[in-house]
Amino acid sequence: MLRFLGRRLFLAVPTLFGVSLVVFVTAKLVPGDPVASLLGPLAPESARRELISSLGLDQPVAVQFGTWLWNLAQGRLGTSIQLQLPVLDLIVPAFGNTALLAFAGALIAFTGAVAMGSAGAFTSRSGPGRFASGLSFLAMSVPPYSVALLLIVVFAVGFPVLPAGGMHDPINGGGTADLLRHLILPAIAVAVIPMGVIARMLQATLAEVLAGDHITAMRARGLSRAAIAGHALHNALPSLLTIAGLQLAYLVGGVVFVETIFSWPGLGQALYNAIASRDLPLIQGGVLVIAVSFVVINIVVDGAHALIDPRVRR
Amino acid sequence: MTFRRRSTLIPAALPFALVVALAGCGSGASTTGSGSGSGSGGTLVIGMTASDIPGTDTVLAFTQGFEGERFVNFQLYDGLTRYDLKQADKTPSIVPGLATSWETSKDGRTWTFHLREGVTFSDGTPFDADAVVFAFDRLLKKDSPFYLPTAAGAASLWAHDITSYAKVDARTVTVTTEKPSGHLLTDLTFLTVPSPTAVKKYGNEQFGLHASGTGPFTFESLKPGQQLTMVANKKYWGGAPKLDKVVLRPMPDAGARTAALRSGEVNWIEYPSPDDLDSLKSLGFQLLSNNYDHLWYCTFDQAKKPWNDVRVRQAANYAIDRESIAKNLLKGTGDPAYQHAPASTEQYVAANDTYSYDPAKAKSLLAEAGLAGGFSTTLAVPTGGSGNLIPVPIATALQAQLAKVGINVKIEKVEWSALLADLNAGKPALGADVQCASTVTYQAEALMRKFWAKDTPVYTGHWYSAKVDQLTEKAERTLDPAARNTLFQQAEQIISAEAPYLFVVSDRNPRAVAPGVKDVVQPKSWFIDLTTIRIGD
Repeated sequence: MLRFLGRRLFLAVPTLFGVSLVVFVTAKLVPGDPVASLLGPLAPESARRELISSLGLDQPVAVQFGTWLWNLAQGRLGTSIQLQLPVLDLIVPAFGNTALLAFAGALIAFTGAVAMGSAGAFTSRSGPGRFASGLSFLAMSVPPYSVALLLIVVFAVGFPVLPAGGMHDPINGGGTADLLRHLILPAIAVAVIPMGVIARMLQATLAEVLAGDHITAMRARGLSRAAIAGHALHNALPSLLTIAGLQLAYLVGGVVFVETIFSWPGLGQALYNAIASRDLPLIQGGVLVIAVSFVVINIVVDGAHALIDPRVRR
Repeated sequence: MTFRRRSTLIPAALPFALVVALAGCGSGASTTGSGSGSGSGGTLVIGMTASDIPGTDTVLAFTQGFEGERFVNFQLYDGLTRYDLKQADKTPSIVPGLATSWETSKDGRTWTFHLREGVTFSDGTPFDADAVVFAFDRLLKKDSPFYLPTAAGAASLWAHDITSYAKVDARTVTVTTEKPSGHLLTDLTFLTVPSPTAVKKYGNEQFGLHASGTGPFTFESLKPGQQLTMVANKKYWGGAPKLDKVVLRPMPDAGARTAALRSGEVNWIEYPSPDDLDSLKSLGFQLLSNNYDHLWYCTFDQAKKPWNDVRVRQAANYAIDRESIAKNLLKGTGDPAYQHAPASTEQYVAANDTYSYDPAKAKSLLAEAGLAGGFSTTLAVPTGGSGNLIPVPIATALQAQLAKVGINVKIEKVEWSALLADLNAGKPALGADVQCASTVTYQAEALMRKFWAKDTPVYTGHWYSAKVDQLTEKAERTLDPAARNTLFQQAEQIISAEAPYLFVVSDRNPRAVAPGVKDVVQPKSWFIDLTTIRIGD
């Protein structure tokens, strides 16, 4: 098991290097530069040139990337050009907020998916089963952007029971209850698609398992429905875990729209702003954190997979 | 074979039940308009269009454009001068700020400022001439230990012609410019003064998290990406604000801003979507607006045919129905702009409103130019960006109107940051023939010459009039405001006749505020004085 983890961690290093390089080069290729974004169209040319050189943006791209790597090796992520605050101070809380949102989203997605998927599989020819199946299909297909707006329109404006955005009440903010109230709508918005995908996947896997000979054998031996369902779910667990892991990683990386709409101060929103203003240090730092979390989630999922299914360890 | 009896819908209902249960938690939905009861002024919660909290270190508020200057720099800090924003019916004038009076030397280059007595920074440091020199050192003296290149860059719009500055005594400073500068007093409003003690204590990197100035509001807390909380400076030299607190929240999505206002999370939003105005009004929200120094315009690239022909440029200006755009598209949040000087500025002369909506005249001008059969052109428009209103719908309306006189426009959308990069490279965005954007004009007089002088990045239209350049150069060097305006007005007359731009609309700075927000003065300015406001019943 340790060797397995060691190997995965070792493989993560070139992955992260590759991601950083690709993002760096892409950010350089896209038109626009951070100084133009910061100073606007009217700043004197001399001021612009001075700032470009003081930020080291006049160096060759390879040198800039090398400097960034060298600083990273020493634990320095630099200063955000647009916000003039240390990148680490911006990314760490933002990542925490995203992780919270993703975790809440995952919780809703998994609960909903297991419910819908099992309902769809175990009662596939009845009303509830068809309903659950249709619901998961719908959930998988709606764009999160529309879901987010719909949730705001219904629960924040139509029946104003929940806040339309932000993470804390601006005046009397603080406290867990306040945070939870702000968390619900964005968490549902990010949960919808993964919920649909996992539910469909689970339903398909369960259907396959239920058609298996061992299930027929169990039935023949008079096992209760609950016991059979338990066995079936256990059999479906490895593939559920894989798809759930992928979806969780997708959640962390893909909350940009939802965070923007709900003004949720997470990494997605920070990255979105950083890209719009070509704030390279912040883009690099943010992408690195997301890439690391992808890698970690995948290792954890593979590890769990290996625990459940000994065949994977070989 | 299926399993029918066990209800699997119970877990499916869980997430929804969680929503309903948690919705009941917390201290109730309505939180704004608070401060009631104690007789205090309450809390103003502003939903900004900015995508993040502006920099809190003086001029670095410009990291979120002029909205940052409006809500952060001008609230936490003061310059030697400031805009008088307490009137709604006239162009704001420049009045004393941290300086109470000033005089100029005979050559018009050196200004002596007498500083206000008894002012302290929010950290208790007394304000004096050393603080002013310290503030300028951060922007202009490269070997100063607290020189801040990004702030210097942002301040360069206003500070680039200051050649020296000095302390005369504890209450007097001098500022010298390269040539006499008619706009120095305006420039100084932006060059605000931080507490030197706080900057030295926290350093440039951390000062933003412990910002300290002399302004009407005082920094309380900052959560990056979330909110900036400022409390009233009860000892403000200009009169204490009536509010207790101002909270700024970044809300770049117009729909989200409107939703936040309707659900009571904020009680003030900037730039509601024009389409939401009717419903907001019917719900009892106050809609505020006023004309100010703003122009949404397009630059014709005169290096390209046929835009080098003045008749073609004039024809385009006659072909567009500005009133329809202002009324039907912007729902009254903009005014038609018939010339380069916005109607709210002192440089505006009604006689220069040359271009009415006259498609017949447009067609005959095109025919005169030998283009009776029309022609095709490209038009670049930003998809967003500070002050650009709803750029793509406006461009689409222009496209339809120009098509009626035979000008076939192909719209090319460009992201704001990419547009800026092209401008800096000295070309219209995407190399288009016509490029649209918005701008401030005379409230940032230091910028005016940039639009038609050859040595600036905004010279994308390649239109040059020696006469206009001369007049504006002379105006910049003229200290007497009336004489300066006359020169600018003469320049504007030529600009109207030559039509180097397609003049489209001026924004009216719309905002929607909750019914309980009282005594707001919406000046003829992008900026606003928050000290008059209180939260009532």
